[in-house]
Amino acid sequence: MTDILAIRRQAERMSREAMFDVVRAPVITEKATALSEKNQVVFRVAIDATKPQIKAAVEGLFGVKVLAVNTLVQKGKTKRFRGRPGVRSDVKKAFVQLAEGQSIDLSARLA
Amino acid sequence: MQVTETLNEGLKRGFTVVVPAAELDSKRTARLAELGKSMNLKGFRPGKVPLAVVKQRYGTAVTGEVLEQAVNDATREVMTERGLRQASQPKVELVRGAAPGDSEDLEFTLELELLPEIAQPDLSQLSLTRLKAEPDAETIDKALADIAKRQRSFETVEETRPAANGDVLEVDFVGKIDGVAFDGGTANDVNVELGGQGFIPGFAEQLEGMSAGEKRTITVTFPADYQAAELAGKEATFDVDAKALKRPVDVAMDDELAKKIGFEGLEQVREAIAGQVRNEYEQLSRMRIKRELLDALATQTDFEAPAGMVEAEFGSIWSRVEQDLKADRLDEEDKGKDEATLRADYRKIAERRVKLGLLLAEIGRVNGVTVTQDEMMRAMRAEAGRYPGQEMQVIEFFRANPQAAESLRGPIFENKVVDYVLELAKVEDKVVTPEELADVPPAEL
Repeated sequence: MTDILAIRRQAERMSREAMFDVVRAPVITEKATALSEKNQVVFRVAIDATKPQIKAAVEGLFGVKVLAVNTLVQKGKTKRFRGRPGVRSDVKKAFVQLAEGQSIDLSARLA
Repeated sequence: MQVTETLNEGLKRGFTVVVPAAELDSKRTARLAELGKSMNLKGFRPGKVPLAVVKQRYGTAVTGEVLEQAVNDATREVMTERGLRQASQPKVELVRGAAPGDSEDLEFTLELELLPEIAQPDLSQLSLTRLKAEPDAETIDKALADIAKRQRSFETVEETRPAANGDVLEVDFVGKIDGVAFDGGTANDVNVELGGQGFIPGFAEQLEGMSAGEKRTITVTFPADYQAAELAGKEATFDVDAKALKRPVDVAMDDELAKKIGFEGLEQVREAIAGQVRNEYEQLSRMRIKRELLDALATQTDFEAPAGMVEAEFGSIWSRVEQDLKADRLDEEDKGKDEATLRADYRKIAERRVKLGLLLAEIGRVNGVTVTQDEMMRAMRAEAGRYPGQEMQVIEFFRANPQAAESLRGPIFENKVVDYVLELAKVEDKVVTPEELADVPPAEL
């Protein structure tokens, strides 16, 4: 049984360096820009990042209030190179719901 | 758009132009939307990129583009609205609103010079003299004699006599330095003209007095600047073996010789030479009358030359003069003048050139003188003819570089305008001697 409280406590003690490891890059696609209407932002995150970590990292890095985090793991495709099978890395995306009235300017440099 | 005139002095004009931010913004948005339509960005279907994303990526570039366009448009509008004709590129200085992303009004100052109002000189009042000269018999005879001299032959002299100046000796020789034969120092059956050119100094001279069948050893010092470095300045001995003595035979210029050089007869050769000389005279004559015309026009013009253009012209002249000054290659006339006088002199020349250029252009413009495509082609071919063997490349070059072809247009245009003016002006023909024709008076400033 996973100890959800322990995970939350751990996420709160995360260092700034660790935050950058969790949140990798913004996802800029049609869908992601459309979601900005609902005040949601999409990030690529570390495959082993937890929702509490993502919440803490986004709040810490961008100075916003996060209401909820939904994640998904997009499985890497199986590809063949010169007949040998290979697998692309899986990617975890996080859909972050921001509190009303808050936004993230992705073009600005991080403080 | 709001325009205020800040300067109106002679040919100079200054304006302050304010373009409202809203106008700029709508232009920018329109441009971004247009860009978005054709943009292919990863994560978006073609044409479905939201404006915000386009703006984030290309906003700065588009802002610059829009600003530049706004400045250009505004400048053009100012010019056409006021019916001004500019002499040079206007100088634009941004006052505010130039930073990208600002929603400030764009304000900039324009500084420019206008083309002066040029009064059309009354061309029919101009009276000019066209100098004409006919080639005289003496000139032609001299040219004929030159041809004949080049065609002369040699005949062997049978009697044994010492060679004198003007004779030709057929010799074998072996050249040695320190007793060893050197490369290129040995030859057989060479014709050496005594008193002629083409050999090491002293070589031909020392052969004087040799007769056929005689052997002689002579000592020659190579000149210090001889082209073969290993021989330069060295002393060499030549064993010379004279085999035959020849003497040049002058050939008279007659029908036979004319046939030999590709003409039908002596008369034709005379005519060809006369034609050539006449051509030369005609060119000279045209140059003279053009000069006279320009002088006459210069006295009639009293408009003010745009300072910017004079400055540019002076700059290009002066940089050349300065080079000459450094290399000490100034004209006799310019030597001994100090820099200030020189500067003043050349500034006058620059002003005259600019004025005359403007005046000719104006006359051409008002009277509808244009350079046709045909004439351009002919000029290109003439230019190409100066590079034998590469005509095609030259033509190609002009085709690929319109601005290079444009530089050919100037002189053609000038010539056509001069032709036009000459037709209108009173031209008097006057026959002079060739010497008088060639005696060009010094340029007046």
